[in-house]
Amino acid sequence: MVKPIRNVVVLGANGAMGSGSGAVFAAAGIPTVFLARTREKAEAGRERAESMVKSNAISRFITTGTYEEDLERAVAAADLVFEAVAEDLETKRTFFSRVDRARKLDAIIATVSSGLSIAAMCAGQSESFQRHFLGIHFFNPPTVIVGCELIAHAGTDPAVTAYVRELLAGTLGREVIETADTPAFAGNRVGFKVLNEVAQLAEEHGVAFMDQLVGPHSGRAMPPLVTVDFVGWDVHKAIVDNLYANTKDEAHEAFKLPAYMQRGIDAGRLGNKTKAGFFKKDESKNVMVLDPTRDEYRLVAEVAAPLPAFVEQMKAAIHVGRYERAMDAFCTAEGKEADLLRRVVLGYISYGLGRVGEVVQHARDIDRIMGFGFNWAPPSVLADAIGTRRTITLLEQAKLAVPRVLVEAAEKNTHLFNEPEVDRGRFFFAA
Amino acid sequence: MVYILGGFQTDFARNWTKEGKHISAMIREAVDGCLAATGVAPQQIDVGHVGNFAAELYAMQGHLGAFLVDVDPAFSGLPTGRHEAACASGSIALLAASAEIEAGRYDCALVVGVEQMKTVSPAIGGDYLGTAAWYELEAKGVEFPFPKLFGKLGDEYDRRYGLKDEHLAHIAAVNYGNAKRNPRAQTRTWYMSEAHACETSKYNSVIGGRIKISDCSQVTDGAVAVILASEKFAHSYAKQRGTKVEELAKIEGWGHRTAPLRFDDKVAESANDPYVLPHTRRAILDAFKRAGIADCWALSGIETHDCFTTSEYMAIDHFGLTAPGQSWRAIEEKVIDFDGKLPINPSGGLIGAGHPVGATGVRQLLDASLQVTGRAGNYQVPDARRFATLNIGGSGTTSCVFIVGR
Repeated sequence: MVKPIRNVVVLGANGAMGSGSGAVFAAAGIPTVFLARTREKAEAGRERAESMVKSNAISRFITTGTYEEDLERAVAAADLVFEAVAEDLETKRTFFSRVDRARKLDAIIATVSSGLSIAAMCAGQSESFQRHFLGIHFFNPPTVIVGCELIAHAGTDPAVTAYVRELLAGTLGREVIETADTPAFAGNRVGFKVLNEVAQLAEEHGVAFMDQLVGPHSGRAMPPLVTVDFVGWDVHKAIVDNLYANTKDEAHEAFKLPAYMQRGIDAGRLGNKTKAGFFKKDESKNVMVLDPTRDEYRLVAEVAAPLPAFVEQMKAAIHVGRYERAMDAFCTAEGKEADLLRRVVLGYISYGLGRVGEVVQHARDIDRIMGFGFNWAPPSVLADAIGTRRTITLLEQAKLAVPRVLVEAAEKNTHLFNEPEVDRGRFFFAA
Repeated sequence: MVYILGGFQTDFARNWTKEGKHISAMIREAVDGCLAATGVAPQQIDVGHVGNFAAELYAMQGHLGAFLVDVDPAFSGLPTGRHEAACASGSIALLAASAEIEAGRYDCALVVGVEQMKTVSPAIGGDYLGTAAWYELEAKGVEFPFPKLFGKLGDEYDRRYGLKDEHLAHIAAVNYGNAKRNPRAQTRTWYMSEAHACETSKYNSVIGGRIKISDCSQVTDGAVAVILASEKFAHSYAKQRGTKVEELAKIEGWGHRTAPLRFDDKVAESANDPYVLPHTRRAILDAFKRAGIADCWALSGIETHDCFTTSEYMAIDHFGLTAPGQSWRAIEEKVIDFDGKLPINPSGGLIGAGHPVGATGVRQLLDASLQVTGRAGNYQVPDARRFATLNIGGSGTTSCVFIVGR
């Protein structure tokens, strides 16, 4: 039996994910203890949680404390311990050992890890700990992005998984996607394949060019390399390195971190948090863009090239809500730019839907995590707008794997994306 | 009798400006969704009506009826028009379409309500909304005029009967709470609680008078389309689908009244009336009479205009849930809650679901029709058979009421 969650402890409550996740629990009216290294840091996390939900009222459900003084006492009273400390296996294991000694035998322990192995994280802890351990992968910021991944490992008690699924979907209002305990789970596996592929292509074709080519009109709110700057190059490296080392599939080479990115990381260029990544601003706030071949920045205005005509056609069609017409321009355009964009977008459809059966059970799981976690057009939405048969033809021409779910939809002449409560139009951007 | 075959609402959480979209994209998605939801073929549509408040200001675009023709080749030559009565624009479009059907001119009408509001900053948008009041006298040079006007409505209640802000806070909390059940509500993922609505803080500051952020409806982009049909059309529609015409929603009654534009004139006019907005009360009574119902207790629920918590406070006694001035009783007794005796705004209303001005009246009618046909999903009121809508333009100026039943 799993009993109701009446008390949550957040470890690492000062960080972006810790404070944001803590805000989600407190906003649901669940008493939540924010723990950090110092009380000041825990208090800063609480204030951040308030600002994220824009209310002081959630603080009546939040108390704060430190690892040194409060962890054992707080954990002993907790029904759910939510770990959001640094993304480092040994650091997490050290905390888990302390939690294991202090926890109630029926307390659930969850990690917000964005891709470390769930089984490896809890290995060595008590059998009870392992049975009550799973991953709850919120996306940043959790108060805004409702998509989240729920990851059980082989030893997780199915009753615990079922209970947490209900907690997330019901009480916390999440879009829950269950994934296997495979590297980087579902969203980051599919998403970072695209992001890293674009980073690789930027070495030859230029950063500004690639980001513009694979921009919002191709089904994402934020251009890919702007996204990597937002995520942080160090986080990007951790995710793709993990995937390169631990997956062996058709996308293996796409997970290889470009050498210029490693040089940037070594030089301390980590994206927005260091005010320099693919993009930065000069003293006069002009936007500058990285030249990956020289590790130098140039003014975007100097390197900007006009958008290819077919991209303008796509944007004009999306602007007035004609999404099929936009994807028709995408399919029929000629030239190397069109080939490049098709390579990335068709590769995304192929790789995303290809994970069905391995990482997730259903196409809708991939679709929902890409739609509600990344704010990207779900692969099925794109395939429907292109036409499922036509998508198969294009994948075959591009020598990309044709996912089984796509073939089944084409054979049945049905749409792949069947979510009556979701406007598919929200995933097409002309901005 | 005019039937409601169904319709479609866009996700009110979307920001179409951030998506890079033109207002015609909103109309297109709403109409495409409506045709898909109802199974009505574009060739079957006889006439199109668009309700919209101020696209000329927000989107530099007039003549919205003509965009319907652009949606489908079968709409070539379709007679269309656009209707405006501030926040009641959508209901005016519905009244025009239903009058044409009742007059026998047409059998099948497409009605779209649409507003794109996130094209401008809140301050500029607030100024545009001021044109729904007497702009020169009540809004020119005033920052956020409408919260101030509806703050005055609360003040007038306070003066005549007494009014506690905690009762307004409950209205806010109920609407936000209901919105969490509605997959197309703008605020469905936002945080709100009665405690938050009661407090004044940097996160819940005063906008004007007694109106705080939590008392306000939202700035919303949204479009809604419904299909209205004559009895003849509804019969063949039901037959084709293997159902009975009795299973379809229909408009059982309507009310439509206009009060003086200026808020102070309204209050002066009603000085000796038990109702603060007697024309709104008359619109409600007209609708009850036309529907052949005695009072509000013949209803399963209400979708009312809650542009501010004070407007819903007004609707409670004007619908007759309580004696005039005693709306607080229905609030304290939780009559208006989702599981109350007469739930108000199971959708979340304008506060929770959102308020794309010209679309709101159509959204209310669509929600009422979904409720009475048992298709409102997670926000379904159990066994709902009859719903009322109240859509208000300006500071209680144009009042439109529909009674929707099955």
